[in-house]
Amino acid sequence: MKKVSYFPGCSAHGTSEEFDETVKMVMKTMDVEMEEIPDWNCCGATSAHTLSESLAYALPLRNLVLAEKLSNDTMTIPCASCYQRMKATKVHMDEDPELAARINTAVVGEGKYEGKVAIKSMLQYCYEDMGLEAIKAKVTNPISGMKLACYYGCLLTRPKAITQFDSPEYPMSMDYIVEALGAKATPFDFKTECCGASFSISDTDIVLQLSGKILEMAKESGAHAIVVACPLCQSNLDMRQHDIEKKYNVKYDLPVFYLTQLMAIAFGFPKEKMMFSKHIIPVDSALAHIGEVIEEPKKPVKGKKAVQAESEVE
Amino acid sequence: MARVGVFVCFCGANIADFVDVPTVVEEAKKIREVKFAVDYKYMCSDPGQQMIRDAIVQYRLTSIVVAACSPRMHEKTFRKALSDAGMNPYLLEVANIREHSSWVHQKDKKAATEKAGDLVRMAVAKSIANEQLHEISVPVTKRALVIGGGIAGIQAALDIADARIPVTLVERSPSIGGRMAQLDETFPTLDCSQCILTPKMVDVASHPYIELIPYSEVIELNGYVGNYKARIRKKASYVNFKSCTGCGACWQKCPVKVPNEYNMGIDKRKAIYTPFPQAVPNKPVIDAEHCTMLLKGKCGICAKFCEKGAIDFKMVDEVIEREIGAVVVATGYDLWDATPYEEYGVGRYKDIINSLEFERMVSANGPTGGLPIRPSDGKVPKSVVFIKCVGSRDKAKGIEFCSKICCMYTAKHAILLHHKVHDSRAYIFYMDIRAAGKGYEEFVNRAQVETGAVYLRGRVSKIYQKGDKLMVRGEDGNLGQEVEVEADLVVLATAIVPYKENPALARLLGISYDKYGYLSEAHPKLRPVETAKAGIFLAGCTQAPKDIPETVAQASACAAKVCGLFAGDTMKKDPMVSTVNKEFCSGCQNCVTVCPYQAIVTEDIPLGHGAKETRTVAKINEGVCQGCGSCVAICRSMAINLAGFTDPQIINEIVAI
Repeated sequence: MKKVSYFPGCSAHGTSEEFDETVKMVMKTMDVEMEEIPDWNCCGATSAHTLSESLAYALPLRNLVLAEKLSNDTMTIPCASCYQRMKATKVHMDEDPELAARINTAVVGEGKYEGKVAIKSMLQYCYEDMGLEAIKAKVTNPISGMKLACYYGCLLTRPKAITQFDSPEYPMSMDYIVEALGAKATPFDFKTECCGASFSISDTDIVLQLSGKILEMAKESGAHAIVVACPLCQSNLDMRQHDIEKKYNVKYDLPVFYLTQLMAIAFGFPKEKMMFSKHIIPVDSALAHIGEVIEEPKKPVKGKKAVQAESEVE
Repeated sequence: MARVGVFVCFCGANIADFVDVPTVVEEAKKIREVKFAVDYKYMCSDPGQQMIRDAIVQYRLTSIVVAACSPRMHEKTFRKALSDAGMNPYLLEVANIREHSSWVHQKDKKAATEKAGDLVRMAVAKSIANEQLHEISVPVTKRALVIGGGIAGIQAALDIADARIPVTLVERSPSIGGRMAQLDETFPTLDCSQCILTPKMVDVASHPYIELIPYSEVIELNGYVGNYKARIRKKASYVNFKSCTGCGACWQKCPVKVPNEYNMGIDKRKAIYTPFPQAVPNKPVIDAEHCTMLLKGKCGICAKFCEKGAIDFKMVDEVIEREIGAVVVATGYDLWDATPYEEYGVGRYKDIINSLEFERMVSANGPTGGLPIRPSDGKVPKSVVFIKCVGSRDKAKGIEFCSKICCMYTAKHAILLHHKVHDSRAYIFYMDIRAAGKGYEEFVNRAQVETGAVYLRGRVSKIYQKGDKLMVRGEDGNLGQEVEVEADLVVLATAIVPYKENPALARLLGISYDKYGYLSEAHPKLRPVETAKAGIFLAGCTQAPKDIPETVAQASACAAKVCGLFAGDTMKKDPMVSTVNKEFCSGCQNCVTVCPYQAIVTEDIPLGHGAKETRTVAKINEGVCQGCGSCVAICRSMAINLAGFTDPQIINEIVAI
């Protein structure tokens, strides 16, 4: 059995418990054992790196050093922000030995950072380490019939120099995973637009405006629901949806799933275990589409001769 | 006894500000062999040169040291001064106290002065061992090879041929004309590109001094300036041009359709085709990659309909050789593939096209009959967004340079759009408007005023689809706010990049290229058409992005260079070349391996006087040798001598410091 280190971060133990729970279900199904980093601390999130560079690196670094004490070669992180801070610290420390030496002194009591653990977001781990074929093989309850807009947000694939994963502008990894589960990923141009992030608390109007655009485009793409792999994206799109609808006088009714919730359903776990009660927008209408047949728009049929070597014969 | 004259230059303030020139003169005077030393404000000026000429006569000098700028700058000038005074010009040594001292030691005048003194001592010591050398004469083959048949190659070929020098023009596609043949109208006068180009194309075909070899590529170039030998592969056209009348029955009947390169793939051509109706030569070729007959041995319809029996499926590639004296490279440009602009949805949206595609659409002989259309539904667009600097001036996407012509052709596109679709509007997102050129600024103003084109200063950050419109979101920097424009069609002014096979061609020709694949000129200011390799010249966008007038000017400049090179029956060449002392040569051939110019071959000489047995020794072709000295350094038996840099000269320099 494969074993990975796990950094849940604060939200997985609080507001996004349903993410945490379903990650565990998915990992179990895929025969991956998770070992939570003992005594982990806050990643620093947005606050640390807007205040102090040293603090922004030192907080994640302690977690990296703790992770290295476990004997696993990879650490997975469900929260996009935690992932971003850890990976940024790793990349910058690996590239800049001077910075590494300086920051190391801050966590010297825990040991020395050596840079031997790979850091992956949950999405990246599913896509790269599990693989689409293996995921497909575990699907017992395909979610076919669902049309889903995959929303990546800003941190899972950006900036490219840090994440080194998928496209920063039009990523497809999540789209491929939901298709492996049987669903249809809609063409969704706003998959990496900003949702407003933590302005949700300090200046909610910004979030209403930005997340509103995302919901509008998701609806326009024909999606029954949105899929995310980030607690803050989920919170903004789900929790603020009623406010958005009210402000702009529209009706979206778009449930916002965690990717792992849908994976768990497809892997045969009962719906009741998904903690859907924590969602603001009810999910039932979207889940009701499971099993429906999606009519594909008819494409012009190409003659078999036309396929050869770009040329076509009349 | 050597009698050396030393001439130290102030170079205005360039040297004098950081080197104490009079001290350098005093130091020079202390050297035993120095019979005369003097300073002057500008030694390269005529009075400065006159000082040298006078001193040579007055002090009976045997060698001259000029302490001034780099020898790359004025060595020739001072050598000429020596000749004028009746002295062998190679008795000159230049001590570079500007680039090597004053410019690089601006913070320490004392040290800079000391270093200048050392450089002068070295040069004096070296000059004492200088020998009289004489220019080498090399025979010249008076035929030029022009690679590329776009407007650059056409102009260069015509200008050279008009001087009654034979030209071989090699073009890789079936017709000459290049990019300019694809353009509709040209800025800033809006004259029809075809109308001004096709007469020149016809002139090329009919010129008695031009040999046009279309559908072919240069595959090898050997030799040296004035004496190159080129091997050219003529791709099999499968059509006998001698009997073909160009009637067109073959391509009308050919059943195979292939994306049409001339129309940027907007429509289809046949597998047997001429690229466009005005093609020169106006003879079709068969595209072997798509012809059913050549691929599978079935069809042959073209041959059935050809009344002249000109189709020959058994034709094979042919390699021909030409002896030439000079080469003009004019391989042109491509448009950068904008796929990395994922935020624009390039590749996802059909209604995003590049500028050449737009050019073909609005062209009178284009695939849409001169009307711009949306590729998705064929409708005529009313709202068209043009985005400039797509790829250009964008470090993140890998191209830092400005593509130079996009500001102008985008203004032209706005005007053409207005001419073709009266109730349309152009929105142009730009970073800067670079309209430096005769009549260019006026032209951009015309686009703004006459057509009502909306110029928005700012970058586009995203394009997304909403219904059947493309939403273009960008910044209006003048208003300091975000804007969204609803577009029917988006045209990207993608960066100009050099012909993709430039690096391979450069290696084949032995010339250098930059990180983008542009071929490098010898000097960015003073030798913009020459390459570092003598006898090879550059014209057009193969060197850097440029517009038609500039391309034509550079092509004509190439022609002038070629004519100058061919002005005499022989060419003069610096005598700083290596020679092999056969007595000492052990025949190890290390020099053959290290020579970067393939100037060294081997020869067999008798083992002793009158002996039948032979041994192998190195032999240097002085016409090819560039005097780099690599062979001297590698030679284990010290059998190679480089004139002007002999062992005694170098040892003298070392001893002097």
